[in-house]
Amino acid sequence: MVLRSFRFVDLESPVEYFNTWLTPVPHFFVRNHMHEPSEIDGESWRLSIGGEVEKPLILNLAELSKMEMHSVVNTLECAGNGRGLFRPQAAGIQWGKGAVGTARFSGPRMRDVLQRAGLKPAGKHVMFRGNDDIPGKVPPFIRSIPLEKAIDADTLIATHMNGAPLPKHHGFPARALVPGWIGSASCKWLAEIKVLETEFAGNFMNPGYRIPNHPVKPGEAVKPEDTHAVTALGVKSVIAGPSDGATVRTGRLAVHGAAWAGEADVVKVDISTDGGVSWNPAKLGREQSHYAWRLWSYKWTPSKPGDYMLQSRATDSQGRTQPATPQWNPSGYLYNAIDEVKVHVA
Amino acid sequence: MWHERAGEWRHVFGRIIGACATIALIVVSVSFNAQGEKPVQANYTADLPPGPMQAKATAACTECHEARILLQQRLSKAAWTKEVDKMTKWGAVVDPGDREALIDYLSSNFSPDKPPYDPQRTASTNGKRMK
Repeated sequence: MVLRSFRFVDLESPVEYFNTWLTPVPHFFVRNHMHEPSEIDGESWRLSIGGEVEKPLILNLAELSKMEMHSVVNTLECAGNGRGLFRPQAAGIQWGKGAVGTARFSGPRMRDVLQRAGLKPAGKHVMFRGNDDIPGKVPPFIRSIPLEKAIDADTLIATHMNGAPLPKHHGFPARALVPGWIGSASCKWLAEIKVLETEFAGNFMNPGYRIPNHPVKPGEAVKPEDTHAVTALGVKSVIAGPSDGATVRTGRLAVHGAAWAGEADVVKVDISTDGGVSWNPAKLGREQSHYAWRLWSYKWTPSKPGDYMLQSRATDSQGRTQPATPQWNPSGYLYNAIDEVKVHVA
Repeated sequence: MWHERAGEWRHVFGRIIGACATIALIVVSVSFNAQGEKPVQANYTADLPPGPMQAKATAACTECHEARILLQQRLSKAAWTKEVDKMTKWGAVVDPGDREALIDYLSSNFSPDKPPYDPQRTASTNGKRMK
């Protein structure tokens, strides 16, 4: 893994790992804002559900496990994935391309838990509090999502990842799973769910995880009132192979990678081997699921030795296409420029 | 809440567990090298660069997080000022008399014109080598 930080744990998947539809858990990126909980055991863990509900609940893991399970294959991407590629750079973990992965998450539906508590009409947002071990005076990790997303049939309280209980790095024993949205919506080490009348107002909703309402120039300051919370992911593709800077032999080879689009579906991935002059469609992988990336591949036979620029450009069902240049924003979120690698054909 | 009742012993215990995990990770790294396989070079600690504020920056910043989080930044003086003030609000112990010197130290060592940061690679999150 690419080591961004041991303390707090922030590990990035090398892009060459993006050659399987489901990312093996040991190769799945880890993004922690704080220390992981020092000690959590499934026996003593409790999840409280309160706020604008008729009957506040406290559930233990056994009770949660008895509820109907549902599975969603979801591509989870950190909002800051690619931050290190923006110029000027923004403060934060300087992720390259690999703070993203795809896994099958399983657990009860969030809406089943909320309905058990009985939603009051005033409830419009659902807040999650993580059990992160808080250093210093850092605000607790609390964020909220709108009620309509919380009660979507695919929004889960996930207890399993790729068929096994969630590892500690990924939120044991339970995390929110908000498919198609930035990773921070899927709160790890879930301890509390609270139904609110308004969006939660803490640090990780504002000023954290916000982008300007309108495009701004690199380096330009943005007023807080001209921003909104980041929610769904954009359309994006990454070239997993050949690697940037690789030397390859003449003859046919496969350019391959992954493409995803948050709540939308990837409809095509185009490849350029001549620096963006001409584009040809890649073949999309057989495995697919709403919210999950598509693997893709493109057979390329370089005409002669030399240096080449390979580029990938995904387009989704909402008509969005990766831009040639990323939309700079002060916190470095949602980088999704056309991907490119340079290769030498010997 | 249950986690609040657990108290200080849990914090200390967690640090001990963390230290054990670190040692295990280093051992795994060494063993990979010993087998002649792809090197896994992940030292647990990284140091801030020398300078008059090295010791005070280390004390203020690494109480909560490691130095790598600073080493990978390439920020303007204005951006460093914002970060230092945010972190001070969040509990970093910075003597008001040291604020300017700390900002100068960070913005001169980790400015946009410095060479790109080259991150280390480490083992998989379970410490095992994948096929």
